[in-house]
Amino acid sequence: MLRDAVRVLADEQIARRAAEIDKTAEFPWDVKELLASHDILGLPFPTQYGGLGGELLTICLAIEQISRVCATSGLILAVQELGALPLLLAGSDEQKERWLPDLAAGRTLIAFALTEAEAGSDASATRTRARRDGDDWVIDGSKRFISQGSVADLITVFAVTTDDSDVPRHKRLTCFIVEKDTAGFGVERIEHKMGIRGSPTAELSFRGARVPDSHRVGAEGDGFRIAMRTLDRSRPGIAAQAVGIAQGALEVAAAYANERKQFGKPIAEFQMIAAMLADMDAAIEAARQLLYKACTEIESGAADAARWSAMCKLVAGDTAMRVTTDAVQVLGGYGYIDEFPVERMMRDAKITQLYEGTQQIQRLVIARALVPK
Amino acid sequence: MAGLWVIGEVTADGGLARISTEVATLARTLAKAADQDVTGIVVAADPKAAAAELATYLPRVLALTEPAAADHAWAMIAADRIAGVLEPDAKEFIFVGAGPDGRDVAGALSALTGWGILANTTAAAWADGGPTIDMSVFGGKLTTTSAFTDATGIVTVRPNVVTAEPAASAGSVEDVKPVGDLKQPVVSVVERVAEATAAAPIEEARIIVAGGRGVGGPDGFKLVEEIAEALGGAVGATRAAVDAGWIPYAQQIGQTGKIVKPQLYLALGISGAIQHKVGMQTAETVVAVNRDPDAPIAEFADLVVIGDLFEVGPALLTELRARPGSG
Amino acid sequence: MQIVVLVKPVPDPAAGGERLGADGRLDRAATPAVVNANDEYALEAALKLVEAHGGEVTIVSMAPSNGPETMRKALAMGAHRGIHVTDDALAGSDHVSTARVLAAALKDLEYDLVLAGADTSDGLAGVVPAGVAALLRLPYLSYAAKIEPDTDAGRVRVRRISPTGYDVLEAPMPALVVCTQALGEPRYPSLKGIMAARSKEIAAKALSDIGVDAASVGGAVATTKVLGSTAPPPRAATRVVREPPDVAAREVVEFLAQRRIV
Repeated sequence: MLRDAVRVLADEQIARRAAEIDKTAEFPWDVKELLASHDILGLPFPTQYGGLGGELLTICLAIEQISRVCATSGLILAVQELGALPLLLAGSDEQKERWLPDLAAGRTLIAFALTEAEAGSDASATRTRARRDGDDWVIDGSKRFISQGSVADLITVFAVTTDDSDVPRHKRLTCFIVEKDTAGFGVERIEHKMGIRGSPTAELSFRGARVPDSHRVGAEGDGFRIAMRTLDRSRPGIAAQAVGIAQGALEVAAAYANERKQFGKPIAEFQMIAAMLADMDAAIEAARQLLYKACTEIESGAADAARWSAMCKLVAGDTAMRVTTDAVQVLGGYGYIDEFPVERMMRDAKITQLYEGTQQIQRLVIARALVPK
Repeated sequence: MAGLWVIGEVTADGGLARISTEVATLARTLAKAADQDVTGIVVAADPKAAAAELATYLPRVLALTEPAAADHAWAMIAADRIAGVLEPDAKEFIFVGAGPDGRDVAGALSALTGWGILANTTAAAWADGGPTIDMSVFGGKLTTTSAFTDATGIVTVRPNVVTAEPAASAGSVEDVKPVGDLKQPVVSVVERVAEATAAAPIEEARIIVAGGRGVGGPDGFKLVEEIAEALGGAVGATRAAVDAGWIPYAQQIGQTGKIVKPQLYLALGISGAIQHKVGMQTAETVVAVNRDPDAPIAEFADLVVIGDLFEVGPALLTELRARPGSG
Repeated sequence: MQIVVLVKPVPDPAAGGERLGADGRLDRAATPAVVNANDEYALEAALKLVEAHGGEVTIVSMAPSNGPETMRKALAMGAHRGIHVTDDALAGSDHVSTARVLAAALKDLEYDLVLAGADTSDGLAGVVPAGVAALLRLPYLSYAAKIEPDTDAGRVRVRRISPTGYDVLEAPMPALVVCTQALGEPRYPSLKGIMAARSKEIAAKALSDIGVDAASVGGAVATTKVLGSTAPPPRAATRVVREPPDVAAREVVEFLAQRRIV
């Protein structure tokens, strides 16, 4: 029922904006308002903070349906979840009270700032530092490729808080919440991207940005662990986005193939096209079912949550890329021009193989689970 | 042996509802095939006029005077009294119209007698001691033929299924007094309000000119009304037009509106989505005007004009008005 | 106010897959079920009434075992709880059985109003609510375009659509009111409503729970039977007219004249 409700909303109100959002590369504030007013942005948050208390599967169903028509729009929900997960997983009651209600209502947006120019796959190579100064922390450094970093009201930042060489690398990071109007915090640039062009990807700078200790999420040194636990729960959201993009592309391709006549009949009746469509459909279904299964496993606290999370994102991302490429192929020349949405979907799909851990990182995570301890 | 009954429905001014003339004609035909008696019954505060008219269709009509019907809702009272007139172990078949009043009395009578209902008859015959009833189901995709499992039953009949035909000679009217108190609670009619925009029930119209989303607004509906008038028909609408407030709900045709079976259904600016199609697809002739050659209605209409209804419509009006004997 | 709404899960008319089963009756498993469209209007009216007057809405459905899937949608719109009357013996029930069973289910409930939709998209008969009212001896007010209860006086006023306009009916409560679309568009369930519906109660009741003898209902004692079915004759191919308006209008009128309509 929820899937249908979101699908109807996506079809009726978001679909018509997708092409324009891609063309203008502007953040769709109207779609964000729509999602907020329909309580969709409340899905990841507990009911006691005004959210809908949705399970991981529920959140992913919503991301999938929205991404079917607009990947940028689907990302709004995914990023809201991603940015807030550290708070949800490790925040104190006061921190939750303070920030979650506005996030749940969609009044404020939150972004997740882990990646840096020199710390992509290798998160422990982080150089942004936070230095203790009295009751405060002073943050210096910069973050790169932060989704929605320029429109967020809150930034979840990961910074190195100790140089002590006895402390293992993965215990040197701490997590902080930085509010956007903090002095010393700035947006340096917005990237021009291949896809999800309506989602601003920002470079953020921290120059002596001062935050009180009450903005520290979790214990000092907990940052890496919080980040990894976050990604375990947020990767399915990207998988959902990928499945949604793929599904949208398949629907366009199938509809086109049934209408487009060449050699006297719809091209869907030619076996090469039919086979492509069939393979696309089967691949999407497989990715979808893996995603749903991963969600229930992760939600129930499975010990191998990381493996499930990585697997569903790996499979969904690769599927989205393949399916959207094939969708362009089915449409032939028409697939290459912006009269049809599949070229945009193909450009949008690529990111799902790159962010929240590249496909190569996902493979490392999965392989690690195969190695006996 | 089973007999046939016809429940006569009474209009606000005491006359016989048109549907009852059609139902009576059908029942009389079946009675002849079955070699059975057929009797009409009119329950009203003053049943004389309606009973007399019903008697021009049936050999015998009971006129039951029930004062409570003057200012109380009719159907429950009628069901109450008719149940009282029927013999305890009667084997009868009762026929009534399938409009709101007919359905109400059929439903109540069924509960009071335990007799079954076959509704929305589109054709009827007689076989094996009872009526066989055709019904259109699944939005017109299928026609089923059904019968009662016992020698009793209640049949509701849609408008326009039968052409009313008076009997060769008028029948007799018997006055009947009600026996005992009404058993069902009565509902007061506090006020009867006539609305200027109210039209004759659209289900009875032989020609319907209907407007949909393409009409664009209440002004657009003026064109629809003019064409309806030129054709001598009624104005209908899709749910989209009603929801937009361009025309009252009483004229809505479709799944949540009325089901109609006119001779001609002229659809202007109507896409023909399933929810609407269900309401009119058994019309004898369907003509549509639509800009979109791919609209669903273009597939099941008998004739579709691909064009702007605001250009085709006025042209149609000119043609209709120019015909001899029109206007 | 306590309001009961009779809700029927019906095959989704938009899905188009309806067919008859081997016994000549509607095969309810063939198509996914949705809430009968007219019942949504009744439910919306009920929700508006309790929003204005306080109280709760209970939905009552007689349905096969998959009834709760559809009932959840009614709960997601805002109804507070559901009662699902289900029993294998009910398969193949006709109007008579249905009215009897619904009346029995209502007998143990307390309510000010019972609301029902004008007819169902699968049966279209529109006769069951009247039967339920007659069995329960409830005042019966049908084809309502407006419902105005006076909770202090314990009475309800209803505008009944009539061929000439409307009649204003009045009766004491509890009463049964048949609702029309004129009462107002049903709301879309909000996401909050959908999530909340998951934990609302749907109580299952078998025939023995409501005091109905299984032998007195269901297909075995049905008062009607289907003798056969046919597909209607296919329409002739559509004639498509693409001429300019003047020419098109002439063609239409000639077409109508040929069919003796003008």
